[in-house]
Order: sequence, then structure tokens, then C-alpha cells
Amino acid sequence: MLARPMESRVHRLLRCRDLGGGSFALEVDGPIPPTAPGQFYMLRTEHRWPVQLPRPFSLYDRAPDGSWGSFLVKPVGEGTRALCSLSPGDGVVLNGPLGQPFPRDVADPVCVAGGVGLAPFLLLAREAKAKGAPVRLLFGGRNRAALAGLEDLEPLARVHTSTDDGSHGFRGMVTGLLEDMLQKGEVRAGDVVFCCGPDPMMHAVAKLCEKLGLRCFLSLETYMACGYGVCNGCSVRVQGARFKGWPYSKTCMEGPVYESCELVN
Amino acid sequence: MLQTTLGSLRLQNPILSASGTFGSGWEGRQFSDLGRTGGLVSKTVTVLPRHGNPPPRIQETPAGMLNSIGLENKGADWFLADTLPKMKQLAAGGAGPRIVINIGGESIDEFVQLAERFSAAGVDALEVNLSCPNVQEGRLLFSTEPRLTEQAVRAVKRVATVPVFAKLSPNVTDVTVIAKAAEQGGADGITAINTLIGMAIDWRKRRPILGRGIGGLSGPAIKPVALRMVHDIARTVRIPVIGVGGVRSADDVLEFVCAGARAVQVGTAMFTDPTLMVRIVDDLRERLAAAGTTIDELCGSVHRPVPPAPGACQPDQGRGACV
Repeated sequence: MLARPMESRVHRLLRCRDLGGGSFALEVDGPIPPTAPGQFYMLRTEHRWPVQLPRPFSLYDRAPDGSWGSFLVKPVGEGTRALCSLSPGDGVVLNGPLGQPFPRDVADPVCVAGGVGLAPFLLLAREAKAKGAPVRLLFGGRNRAALAGLEDLEPLARVHTSTDDGSHGFRGMVTGLLEDMLQKGEVRAGDVVFCCGPDPMMHAVAKLCEKLGLRCFLSLETYMACGYGVCNGCSVRVQGARFKGWPYSKTCMEGPVYESCELVN
Repeated sequence: MLQTTLGSLRLQNPILSASGTFGSGWEGRQFSDLGRTGGLVSKTVTVLPRHGNPPPRIQETPAGMLNSIGLENKGADWFLADTLPKMKQLAAGGAGPRIVINIGGESIDEFVQLAERFSAAGVDALEVNLSCPNVQEGRLLFSTEPRLTEQAVRAVKRVATVPVFAKLSPNVTDVTVIAKAAEQGGADGITAINTLIGMAIDWRKRRPILGRGIGGLSGPAIKPVALRMVHDIARTVRIPVIGVGGVRSADDVLEFVCAGARAVQVGTAMFTDPTLMVRIVDDLRERLAAAGTTIDELCGSVHRPVPPAPGACQPDQGRGACV
């Protein structure tokens, strides 16, 4: 468990940056505590939150001094719509940082993102770039518009895109792109895959990695009530030594990142 | 002003966590100073570990949520060794919140075992979960049956050396009959209410959303139901009532107190705001000071004749007779 400070604090919205494709980067003022790639925060609006439970979001970006941070939000329901219709100066309540990040000891991971699953990879790409070893990022979407945030990542990582309609990069699914890169030698045996995206995509990536013999870590998006380990509502079925025979794991505490072989079904 | 008592148990204020909504308190300790709460009620502990129900386990609903956790917990041995010491740390040697352990049994024998072990472990009180809707397993819930309620409470009381509160289900025809049975069994207090059984359906999949099909409804949606039940129970029994159901603010707390609650638990709202209990404590102090009253004075006030409005002048008494 990371010994990082968790806190609940009201932040001010600095701006809601339109990333295209219906997604926004919600930028809030600091202090944003040090947060590792893959960790998340529970968010809600300070006033007029239209639903009961806060919503979990990976931290998208953070100023090195913590003076601001941002979250990748796509308005799909009442809660996300409320967040995206805030005006600068409005309050956003953040609880976090929460959860366990992607493994910190993987030197050159192959990052695979789908849609707003891009979120945890910006911080990771920024860290790697600072060390002079930019990561490979495979970013897939239905079409060009679905690749929201691409411009943010391009300066930071070796980005390869895929679109179902071929409007940007590789034509096809991101799994096809991964196989293609393997054939070209841009992904090699022994590489470790970090993946975040819609469930069907993560299933497909995990399955492919299993076939190719690559280790694969998935950042799950699970329905959560609390985010800090008290509701037991976000449990997923797991297997493996670290769970000591317990069949369920709380995504908010032991996740949201799991190695694919730990997840049952 | 904020002090309250539950039988022999003194609380620095009437705000407790509701079982199953704040873990042991330890998980959320970094968010606020829990030393300022009235009490921490543990998630239900069972004799043996329970894995809980298959996911999905929660679903948000208008003004509330459904849960079907199924009492997932690592059992009494683990709790006594690992969790209770942490709760005692939060209790700050009795200077802070009271430690209440919620116990769940599938039989009277299990309740007795748990009551013996936790009494001996030096907790402040026991809350007997007679009412979890998520673990029925074909058997009748204790708290839907007055006779079983009375038997279970009596058996627990026989071995318990600390106050015993009975947590009741709202899923009954007349909750006052069950409350009366718990009182007859010797309960030191009644906690009301547990969740209302509900369901959510995904019509596109033609299936219930929750893994187990049904779940317990909590949150603001159930507050009016809880208030009515606390009101009716308080009128029926002589033992103290702990109100719970949809509390989000100091005003909600004071409504429960007026209905007859001596203490109030904050549940689902702790998921949304882990600092809420201490914020409510602060707000309560302000509200009571502004109204010039106390928890003690307000408790059960809806059951008494309406007092004259503050500042209203009594006729024929002239100036200076305002009350």
C-alpha cells in the first residue's frame, strides 16, 4: 500500500478544455498531491451534484509542483455532464489519490489506450520523457475524433494510433496495431503491456497478450460508491497469491490496476 | 449541548457511522478527525469469513443506491486480531468516539459466540444485525419475526457485558411489534432502520442489474421512511432509539432527534463525503446554539405538545413576557 496522503478538498475549476470527440480536460487548481500513473480521485461538483455518489477518474495531468491537475472526462451521464458544465471558479471536490498505480519497475512499457482510457498514460509518458526514454503509446478509437487528447500525448510519447475507419493511423482495432508492431519488431517478447480502455477492448488486449506471451496490466473502470475501501461495492473476481485465497478484490484499494492473469473471466 | 446517552453509554455527540458504510473507520481516518465523532460502528462481523455476493454489487438509484454486498468480511478471528486494535486507536482511550461492533449471525448460537468474544475484547457496545437483506439464504430474517428477535436479543443479552442495540429491518408490516420484541428481549436500544429491499433492472439485457438480483436501498430516498419508523418506535418503547436512513446534514439529524432518536448514524452519505460526520458535528453545534436548545431537549419533541414559538408574546402579559 502506498503511504500517500489521501485528502478530501474543494478545488476551483481553472478551465474545461475541449479535447474534441466529446471529451474534456477538467483543469483544477492545486494543491494536487503527488500521484502515480494509474491512481485515481473521486470527483463531484461542490454544489448541485445531481447524483449521490462521486465518480472515479484517473489523474490525467499534474503540474510538477502540484499547483494544478486535470482529469479526462467524457460527459455520458448526469454526473459527468454536471462536471463538464462547470464554469471557471466553480468548486470540484476531490478525494484522493486512491488506489494502486501501474507497476513502477517496468522500464519501457507498451501503453495501450482506448478512448478516455488514455487518462492514466499522460503522467506516465511525462515521467518517461523526463528520464529521456519516451514510452510507446498505442492509442485506438472508432475514428479520429475519438482520439481525444492525442495532441497532448504526441510531444511526450512515441504514439501509434489506430482507428476503426482508418481516419487516423492503423486501420482496425488497437489489437491489430499491437500485432502489427510485433511483426515489425517495434514490440518484442519480454515487453510488458499497460492497458486502459473500454472493457471489450481490454478483454481483447489481455487475450492477445496471453497468446503472445506478454505480461499485461489492466486499469479497470469499475462502478464504485466510496473509492476508499469501505463500501465493498467495487469488488471484482480475482485469483492469485497476493489475494491469499480470497475470491474478490476491491478495485479501489488493490486495483484499479491488475495483472490480466489475476482477473477471473 | 451535543452530549447524549444511549442507556449507560455516554457519547460526546450523537453522530455515529452506520454499519457497512465506513468500514472500521480506519480506512477513512486520513480524511478527517474521527476523534470528534460520537461513535464508530463497524461493518458487520460474522463468526466465519464471508466472501460476499457476486458483482455487480451496487447500483445508484434516484436519490439513493442499492447494495448487495452480502456481508463480505474476514470473520471474527481476523477482526479481533487486525481491525479492533485499529478501532481502539481511533477511540483514543475513551476520549473519542465509542466503538460499536455490529455482529451478524445465521443462528442464535453464532450471535452468542460473537457477543461473548466482543464483550470480552472491551468494545463499548454491540449492535446486533438482525436485518441484513442480502444474506437470507432461504431462511427467515430474525427481524421479520418478533419471536426470533426477542430470542436472539435475549440470548445476546445473557452473555454481553456491554450495551446491546438491535438493528431492525424496515421490511415488515409493523416495525413497532419487532421493536417491542427487542425491548422485551432486553435490548438496551434500537437502531432503525436497515435498508429497504429493492431491485434495478437492465431491460436491454432483460436481467436484474445486481449480481444477486435484489439489494438494499439506502440514501436520501429512504429518509422519510426511516423518520416515520423512528417516530413510531420511539413512541412504543422506553429504550433509546438510534436513527439511521438517508442522513446528509445536521438538519436531517435534528429531524431524527425530534422524531425520538437519541443518536443518529450517517451511512450512504459517507461514500460521497468521507469528512461528513465531523462536518455535521460542527453544523449541529451551530444549529443548536442558534436555536438555544440541546439534543436532550429536542429529543422526541414531536411527541410532546407544540411549545410557543420563540419570541412569541403571550397574550395579556405585556412587554417582557416573551418566551
